[in-house]
Amino acid sequence: MLAIWIGKLALWTLRLLGRKGTSLPGQLALRLNPRILEALGRQLTSCIVVTGTNGKTTTTALLAAVLRVRGPVVVNTDGANLQQGLVSALLVHTDWFGRLRTKTALFEVDEATLPRVAAVLPIRWVVVTNLFRDQLDRYGELDLALAKIRDGLQQTDAGLVWNADDPLVCRLGAETRRQGKPQVSFGLHPDHLQPPWRDLVRDGAFCLACGNRLQYDGFFYGQLGVYRCCHCGFARPDPDVVGRLESASLIVQSRHWPSPAAHGNRLAADPAGAGTFADQASIALPVRGLYNAYNALAAISLLAELGFQPDEIQAGWASFQPPLGRMQVFATRPTSVLNLVKNPAGCDSVLRAILAEPGDKVLCVAINDQAADGRDVSWLWDADFELVADLGGVARCVTTGMRAEDMALRLKYAGYPPGHIECVPDLAAGVAQALAAGWSLGGLSVYVLATYTALHPVAQLLAERVVADADPTQAAVHRASVS
Amino acid sequence: MPTPRRRLFIAHLYPDLLNLYADRGNIQTLRRRCEWRGIEVEVAAVSLTDELQLGDYHLVLLGGGSDREQEIVAEALRRRRAEWRAAVNDGLPVLAVCGGYQLLGSYYQLRDGRQVEGLGLLDLVTQAGPTRLIGNIAIDSPEAGRIVGFENHSGRTRHHHQPLGRVIAGHGNNGEDGWEGVRYLNVFGTYIHGPLLPKNPRLADLLLHTALRYAGLPDHLDPLDDRLEWAAHEAFVARRIES
Repeated sequence: MLAIWIGKLALWTLRLLGRKGTSLPGQLALRLNPRILEALGRQLTSCIVVTGTNGKTTTTALLAAVLRVRGPVVVNTDGANLQQGLVSALLVHTDWFGRLRTKTALFEVDEATLPRVAAVLPIRWVVVTNLFRDQLDRYGELDLALAKIRDGLQQTDAGLVWNADDPLVCRLGAETRRQGKPQVSFGLHPDHLQPPWRDLVRDGAFCLACGNRLQYDGFFYGQLGVYRCCHCGFARPDPDVVGRLESASLIVQSRHWPSPAAHGNRLAADPAGAGTFADQASIALPVRGLYNAYNALAAISLLAELGFQPDEIQAGWASFQPPLGRMQVFATRPTSVLNLVKNPAGCDSVLRAILAEPGDKVLCVAINDQAADGRDVSWLWDADFELVADLGGVARCVTTGMRAEDMALRLKYAGYPPGHIECVPDLAAGVAQALAAGWSLGGLSVYVLATYTALHPVAQLLAERVVADADPTQAAVHRASVS
Repeated sequence: MPTPRRRLFIAHLYPDLLNLYADRGNIQTLRRRCEWRGIEVEVAAVSLTDELQLGDYHLVLLGGGSDREQEIVAEALRRRRAEWRAAVNDGLPVLAVCGGYQLLGSYYQLRDGRQVEGLGLLDLVTQAGPTRLIGNIAIDSPEAGRIVGFENHSGRTRHHHQPLGRVIAGHGNNGEDGWEGVRYLNVFGTYIHGPLLPKNPRLADLLLHTALRYAGLPDHLDPLDDRLEWAAHEAFVARRIES
């Protein structure tokens, strides 16, 4: 009981100070009662877990926006995905007698934390987004992340929503199916395949069943793609839910959404005519970029399984605000879009998403090397910044942060013209410089990439520069992303 | 007078196993600094299943991997020990970083006491220590001036050759004797990554000089505009070493 009181007191104190308290209250409570997660968790009736390397926070936010339409849900936000984050989220919904008032929970859970919490939460569904190498875990121990998730899954009867385009995650799907548990796979439409020409050393490029190199018809990003092993027959299965991105909408085929002809008009009518296919729904996405389409597809796959219809999902996402630094649009002049980068695979997918946006642009990269960012910035050289030089459309690059010069050097050696690189280590000056460059070049959008400790300050700087009377073109950008 | 056509062949050994710490940055640096000077360069990614002919290359890069991966590589390397010894004594330029550096020695002793035998090219041994030596590092090299970067290793290395340099800040070979890396004929061994070469253009050009001479080609290198390289080097020293 004391643990709950202390935790709740910390929560209230932090709120009075204007802070969110996503982690500290839980940390205090756990110190007083190491089994507090169990005490609170057993009061839940059901729990959904999102795990994987990239996309956890956005997928969780997308799910929460829809689930909350039907009632309150305990959710950990802002990526607080360790035990203390889960406890903090539960404490918000706990009264001073230790009673949990909300009975369903949605948690983003770190891969390594999953096996430690799986037994004490009534987990019904686990969503696995993907498995990439993180910059802090540079020991090629991807097998370990896979083993952790497997360990977690085995402690529950939970169903699995899994990414069929990821050969590592595919193993989990196959195992879950063999164990007779419910499972739903999702994948992108082959229209989005990139030819395998830019074939760097990829995580999981070897068959986990027999160890031979996997053959790819093409890649979506990272090791996600259409793959098969010529030796043992291991191959990407046809996903249960398929998504195709059309401008700002995702065209989704799901077995749960039968054709409008047979079942009335519950499906969202699509004015663009994409509804001509029998069993698909068009859902406008509140987030931008192909990798976010993946996150949306993961969320949709689970929501369809839970009985949500496309119009309900659409309604839930109508007022969606993307989490901090996930293609987050600011109505600055010119418009700016903020993205978190933390590892090579995530950085590559952000770069691809940005470079696919129409028009010339200014790129601003903010690199810090504090403990939370990783003190070793060598991962910048594993990220595919060659894309910036090769795909074109980037009129100017501004590098900023504590390692601005390292980043400038990275771009130079990627083949980007040094004359178009400006290196401004001070964050405020760097952001100002990027916006000024975008403005002087005719109002080009500024795309900002920031590591973890640079993200909040940059978001603050951009928020301060949001213009109240945003001009009509900027307003249109916003409408397109949420309507 | 027109410069004769110059072409360097570089081997990147076992990138599918030894690809920790952005070795790609070292290769990209060597490649670009050749291209900017009109020197043709070909980099071959050699995998364990390929037949490695050391005589085909003017510079060989060996990176680092996890213990398991390093054991696999050590076994493959040992089978060609005589060939390696001959090539190195003949002056083959080798850049070995982290695990690759350890593999040049007699053995690497694991935490459990087991010894993984290395190439034995150098009178050098490494023992796994109780902690990892992690952090920013700067050293002073008689040939290449100040060299900066990042180190992350649990191995403690000791040898009787020339070191690459003296530690200004950081741990170096073993965190005790104040030396970092090794220099032997045209072999350069070091624990410094980050990666090593982009921010240390003098060292990068020293390697290219060495490779050109070994290849029997004219070894002059046109000066490049290295302002960004030195800016990164100096900023690192100011913010991460001296402060």
